[in-house]
Amino acid sequence: MGLRIEMKNDLAICHIDGEIDINTSPDIKKSLDKLLSKKVVKIIINLTKVSYVDSSGLATLVEILKNMRSYGGKMKISNMSPKVKSLFEITKLDRLFDIVPDEQEAINTFA
Amino acid sequence: MINFAKLGFIKKLSGSESTEVTIPSEIAQIRKISTKILALAGEHTKKESALFDIRLCIEEAVRNAIVHGNNSDHRKKVMIEYGVSSGSLYIIVEDQGKGFDYKTLPNPTHEKNILRNSGRGVHLILNLMDAVEFNERGNRIKMIKRLR
Repeated sequence: MGLRIEMKNDLAICHIDGEIDINTSPDIKKSLDKLLSKKVVKIIINLTKVSYVDSSGLATLVEILKNMRSYGGKMKISNMSPKVKSLFEITKLDRLFDIVPDEQEAINTFA
Repeated sequence: MINFAKLGFIKKLSGSESTEVTIPSEIAQIRKISTKILALAGEHTKKESALFDIRLCIEEAVRNAIVHGNNSDHRKKVMIEYGVSSGSLYIIVEDQGKGFDYKTLPNPTHEKNILRNSGRGVHLILNLMDAVEFNERGNRIKMIKRLR
């Protein structure tokens, strides 16, 4: 699993590469917690290169969202594969998260 | 030993050859067992969507068995039985814990639970598998996925 964070002013774009599961979730959370400790208010999670997410991965994203909300931050998730998106729909997390088709739209709607 | 005779809807699969595996309660075992079962499923279907669902449900069930069933006690084992018959994959996962009543699990999609950090695994299994059954004690789950 890889995670690259690109800063554009007050916006952090996080590109996750690999799987978000019980094995990788702790590292993803640790990396994103560093952003949250700096109170970054706008985060885009780009899932282009994420082929698999399990319930641990979903829980990690929920935890990050909750932490962001505690200081008024906002998160958008972009570029989900149809299969990963279906997991958000089954768990109704598609209602909780701001899911957008692609990164550019996420940037535009943050502007 | 898993008793097939008690499994009503699996009776029709009784002609299949099954594989039984016993693993220690270690997280590192989860991927190993899902890889084995996916290799078998992959011989019968090339549907990426079905293989995704199968992997996810195996890993959720085995993780629940290790973490919630056996409380991550390395001395306790998880028994897994799987096979393919009549175009369907069946997987049985049994732990050595006290069991639980899946009917009383909080619905993770309800507004009051949506922000919880856990509780989505069984919900995903119930939605992605074609048939799911728990034993009365609640320490064994049986899952079936059609492969064609």
